[in-house]
Amino acid sequence: MVWVRYVGGRLLALVLTVLVGSVVVFLVMKAAPGDPAVAALGESARPELVAAFRAKHNLDVPWALQYGRWLSGIARGDFGLSLTVASDRPIAGLIAARLPNTIFIGVMALLIAVILSLIAGTIAALRRGKLADTIATSLAAFGISMPDFWLSYVLILVFALGLGLFPAYGFIAPAQSFTGALYSGFLPALAVSAPLAAVFARTLRTSLLEAGNKDYVVAARSFGFHPAYVFVHWIFRNALIPYITIIGLQIRYILGGVVVIERIFGISGVGSLMVDGAFARDYPVVQACAVVFLVIVLSVNLVVDVVCSLLDPKRAR
Amino acid sequence: MAVLLRTLWSNRTARAGVIIVGLFLLAISVGGALMPYSATDMDFLNLLTPPAWTHPFGTDSFGRDVLTRVLLGGRVSLAISVTGVSLAAIIGIPAGLAAAWYGNPIDQLLMRCADLLFAFPSFVLALFLMVVLGFGVTNVILAIALVYVPIFARLARNLALTVREEAYVQAARLMGQSTARILGREILPNIMAPIMVQASISIAFGVIIEAGLSFLGLGVQPPTPSLGVIMADGREYFNQGPWVLTLAGLFISFGLLGLNLLGDGLRDLTDPKLREKTTS
Repeated sequence: MVWVRYVGGRLLALVLTVLVGSVVVFLVMKAAPGDPAVAALGESARPELVAAFRAKHNLDVPWALQYGRWLSGIARGDFGLSLTVASDRPIAGLIAARLPNTIFIGVMALLIAVILSLIAGTIAALRRGKLADTIATSLAAFGISMPDFWLSYVLILVFALGLGLFPAYGFIAPAQSFTGALYSGFLPALAVSAPLAAVFARTLRTSLLEAGNKDYVVAARSFGFHPAYVFVHWIFRNALIPYITIIGLQIRYILGGVVVIERIFGISGVGSLMVDGAFARDYPVVQACAVVFLVIVLSVNLVVDVVCSLLDPKRAR
Repeated sequence: MAVLLRTLWSNRTARAGVIIVGLFLLAISVGGALMPYSATDMDFLNLLTPPAWTHPFGTDSFGRDVLTRVLLGGRVSLAISVTGVSLAAIIGIPAGLAAAWYGNPIDQLLMRCADLLFAFPSFVLALFLMVVLGFGVTNVILAIALVYVPIFARLARNLALTVREEAYVQAARLMGQSTARILGREILPNIMAPIMVQASISIAFGVIIEAGLSFLGLGVQPPTPSLGVIMADGREYFNQGPWVLTLAGLFISFGLLGLNLLGDGLRDLTDPKLREKTTS
């Protein structure tokens, strides 16, 4: 019951945050200089054309009404029409076509980072102060220091242009071919995952070391339980909570990284749509993408918090 | 200052960080003057030559010496990041202190605002701001500041809450000192160490934000040679001259590595719990 109330409260907070966030996004976009109608039609457009454009894109009514219509549209899955990027096409359709690609790359990057960090973090904690630890922690320091977009080009140079193992450009949508998507998405996902893996591995190492010093671990050891059993049952389980929390916090960085990486590898995703919108001053598109990213981040954080509350029931209270 | 350096020197990670950051700063401050070229000198006989002794980082498509440009670009990028992060600290820290000191409803209001900013991917937030404000150096600085204001505000608040009830703060209160004085003279110096750690890491990420925005063409605009602009330039002819982009990026990574190591070392030194662990 406590748990249900906890999840319900968090859901309510999520909806409220999205609402406030959408107001902010809307108002900030309204403050942007320039008339979208002029931007799309040009300075010398005929007045009646401009008026028709403003009516079609819901720009001819007061701001509050514009916001109300925009919000009720979103609730029905309608983000309005694109101004310039894909003239007059519904933005919801543009996003629906691109979102699976973005999520695919993001999840793949996350999985690579989790696998790498579980290995590196555990080894570093178990062999603390030894050579393996030094290598793992140094690699982590390097990983955090590499801009992901630079790493993409290094990967392209080595694995695509040099060794010819992976394509340098282009992405096969997972809907077309799942293995094709795995193959063509590997380099971009790897570029996004490297700094993440470094952050995760460092967190895991620290929390494993901290958990290893706890009284209950010393007690379990002195009872004569097998070290591997102690590690899995007491140390690892307790170290998982900070580890999962960090993963939740890093979702922002994954999505931020994906925005740049999509452009580099020519992946048709929400990030590249937002950048295209930014260049073309397509305000509704940028607005819609920002809201989509907001919803993704908040939902993932909600899931992470719920998982953590299951691992550590004290949290839900 | 000398004491600070000596303390930093005692920690292996911090020492590596100090050395790398020192070299990086030295390179970008005097390196440009030592180079026989200027960042805009064009040599049309040596277009896109690979790295060699005369041009350690090679030349770009205009025959400009890439190393000279990278040294100058490093200065531009670092200045942008430092300004942005400082701005974030100047706004965020007082906001966080106020939230901790006055409690609700100011605390709730400020922290919910921070939560909201936190919910956007930092790069998306920066991108969003660039669309509204337009591209250019000032707006990149503002974008970096916007990304880091909530981080500094929340950090300062949480730290201030932990020292708020300390005896020296109570004593200052009983002595009738003004709130501004207590916050500035009693609380702030005692929470400064973790804030410095955050600042050094933020400056590193600020450079990445600048480089990322400029790389996409949404940030600093050419001919100003920021590291992102140089890399964006290198992307155009990546197949013919991959060294422009890769070596410029390597230079960024080198500087960021120093800043991150410095941050890690500072954290080890300022967190007694971790210090025990590193020495034991």
